[in-house]
Amino acid sequence: MKRELGLKKLTAMFLTVAMVLSLAACGNTGSDGGNSTSRADSAGNSSSADSSGSASTDNSGGSDGGYKQYDGKIVLWTLAKDLQQFADRYREETGNEVEVVVFDSADFKTKIMQTLGAKSKDVDVFVGEPQMLPDFYEAGFCADLSALDNEVKTRLVEYTYEAGCDSDGVLRAISYQACPGSVIYRRDLAQEVFGTDDPEEIGKLFASFDTIEETARTLQSKGYTIFGDTGALRWFSISSNPWVRDGEIIVDQDRLDYFDCAVNLYQNKQVANATEWSAPWYASMAGPLPVLDADADVWGMDKDQLMSDAAGGGAGTTQVFSYVMPSWGALIVRDNAEGNKGKFGICSGVCSFFGGGTFLTVNEYSQNKEAAQQFIEYCTLNDDTAQWWLKESNGDVVSSKAVLEANKDYQNESFGNQNTYGFYAQEMEKIDYSLITGYDDACKDAFGAAIMSVQKGEQTKEEALKEFYTVVLSTYPELSVPADAPVTLD
Amino acid sequence: MSEKIKTRISKSLLYFFLIVLAVLCFTPFWLMLVNSTRSGNEIMTAFSMLPGGSLARNWEVVSENMNLGRGFLNSLFLAVCNTVLVSYFSALTAYGLAFYKFPGSRVIFTVMLVFMMIPSQLSLLGFYNLVNQLGLIDTYWPLILPSIASPATVFFLRQYILSVMPRAILEAPRIDGAGELTIFHKIALPIMAPGIATMAIGAFIGSWNNYLIPMMLINTPAKRPLPVMVAELSAVRDITTNLGATYLVVAVSALPIMIAFCFFSKYIISGISAGSVKE
Repeated sequence: MKRELGLKKLTAMFLTVAMVLSLAACGNTGSDGGNSTSRADSAGNSSSADSSGSASTDNSGGSDGGYKQYDGKIVLWTLAKDLQQFADRYREETGNEVEVVVFDSADFKTKIMQTLGAKSKDVDVFVGEPQMLPDFYEAGFCADLSALDNEVKTRLVEYTYEAGCDSDGVLRAISYQACPGSVIYRRDLAQEVFGTDDPEEIGKLFASFDTIEETARTLQSKGYTIFGDTGALRWFSISSNPWVRDGEIIVDQDRLDYFDCAVNLYQNKQVANATEWSAPWYASMAGPLPVLDADADVWGMDKDQLMSDAAGGGAGTTQVFSYVMPSWGALIVRDNAEGNKGKFGICSGVCSFFGGGTFLTVNEYSQNKEAAQQFIEYCTLNDDTAQWWLKESNGDVVSSKAVLEANKDYQNESFGNQNTYGFYAQEMEKIDYSLITGYDDACKDAFGAAIMSVQKGEQTKEEALKEFYTVVLSTYPELSVPADAPVTLD
Repeated sequence: MSEKIKTRISKSLLYFFLIVLAVLCFTPFWLMLVNSTRSGNEIMTAFSMLPGGSLARNWEVVSENMNLGRGFLNSLFLAVCNTVLVSYFSALTAYGLAFYKFPGSRVIFTVMLVFMMIPSQLSLLGFYNLVNQLGLIDTYWPLILPSIASPATVFFLRQYILSVMPRAILEAPRIDGAGELTIFHKIALPIMAPGIATMAIGAFIGSWNNYLIPMMLINTPAKRPLPVMVAELSAVRDITTNLGATYLVVAVSALPIMIAFCFFSKYIISGISAGSVKE
């Protein structure tokens, strides 16, 4: 009994002490909050080995300078710490305060839907990725930015303007980044197999699904594989027609070619079976890779082990020739290249595409709309900022055409001194945004699943295509299958 | 002799199963601790039961990107407030429902049972709007006050008090002239203590691990409790840098739960063995 009493007293004391401590801690909110932001700032300043040379940009846009001073601060909700650096610079240059709040990307959309669904004024600027934006527009969360329409249209990369407009063509979001797609290939292997590493020439090898198959055969005869896995081809699935037009799901000849190409590459063992984001995939960027079975468990593998197993190359090993990814993917390749750093090149593929990017938008219910818009202008339409970010981010492709132009001659030593910004600027000119629909993700996923089932011999092509239509129709019952579809549904 | 061997065999079997169970329970915690000492790249690309050498680096990432102490105190404050409120008010309600006869007591009890069935995630939308209308977004009030009404705890404590405390016990103090609240505080509450402690553990852990509601309601980074801060940490940088650091924070944040559990579980065991009525 006595022991029990003692414990009870201890409990009470523990709880009291805890309460007092935590209450005391509530007192010094201000200093703590400030502290954490300044720390984060210093953490973000990574080395800038790739920073561009002496590019001097003229601030021809007219929106530079003359920033107004607003009372109070604006609040920015975002998905990564990038924008903290923008906010710090903005404060230094204009004296305006921006509070950056980072959310986990898994819950970000829910948080925005919930908060702005209740017409909250607690946030002034928030970010969105291209696939979230249509939902935000439709819910009426994004303020009208059409005052900037002309500037965005003329000064930023075209596809970012189109992605920033809602279905009625009203500008509601602006991006400081651009993420054009590219084929990232090994220059040394290209020299050895094709006798050239010129991006123009190598681009021709990837110009259509037929040439890709041809290229894969040539590479195979030298013991190399063209891609990590056939998923790389998915970026080329929107080449001449959108996935959905006039409510009909379109599977054109290009898509059937893509289908056949993926199945052939897989069944002829012309890919390395190193699935994107798995250890073998990362390992393949740095050197030879052991030949993997199609059913190998790539997720349980160890990168170092793979690399030491295949060290020196030779029989039983292979090398991956290329990766198809948006511009941020090139940075992943660069950062994992280790001994292969500098041996990569960038060229175009079957079609031009883009993937991802961070768009900024003003909360419709914000009470600091003017201040919020000024910050967005600063991040997206100020060429000094864009030039600074291009260096600071160590290779991010910015959306400002003038800055890309100013850096077009910059020789990127990570990519064999190629003029990467010039290449990306050109590539973005070719992106046809009218081919993008809200159904793309669902269609690509279902089509990819169909391809995979044929690759593994689980279904015939016809069965798989039927299943593709069924899956898409069950997600979007409002769509239909056109009469000239390659298969007819029962 | 054969009796002794029999008990030995059954005992060793028992111990064997208990050890297997203990290992099963402990392995995830061990992996969490191990992963908190490895770099994100190592965690993504290989599996290991032995600690790695990146603890210091992970700690650096943590201290660069979040204020761990702040999150700790926020979580502790919320958890303690919740635990105290849940314990006291649920006990009060349970006592009232168990020992007073008043019109509608049955209806109230049934309504409570019905509300027990509704998961809190379901009412999140409405709750958010209510809190917003009250102007309490980004404060701790909506995270603390609702714990005054927790039907599941009331239900448990009502059943508990009916089983441990005979009605006759209340008659003595009434004859001596004690007020009803005094009776509750001096007699009923101590008798219910073990039951309350059990519920308090649940409340503490529930509040400590609560992610969804604080994530929705709290906007200021400095006010976030630990789980929300952990989610932010996993978002701020490239995943290969953060993964080890995230494990480290999770490991550190699981610590108080373990301490609280050790502490309270002792209390329950001693409490249950010492009942109020000797029979």
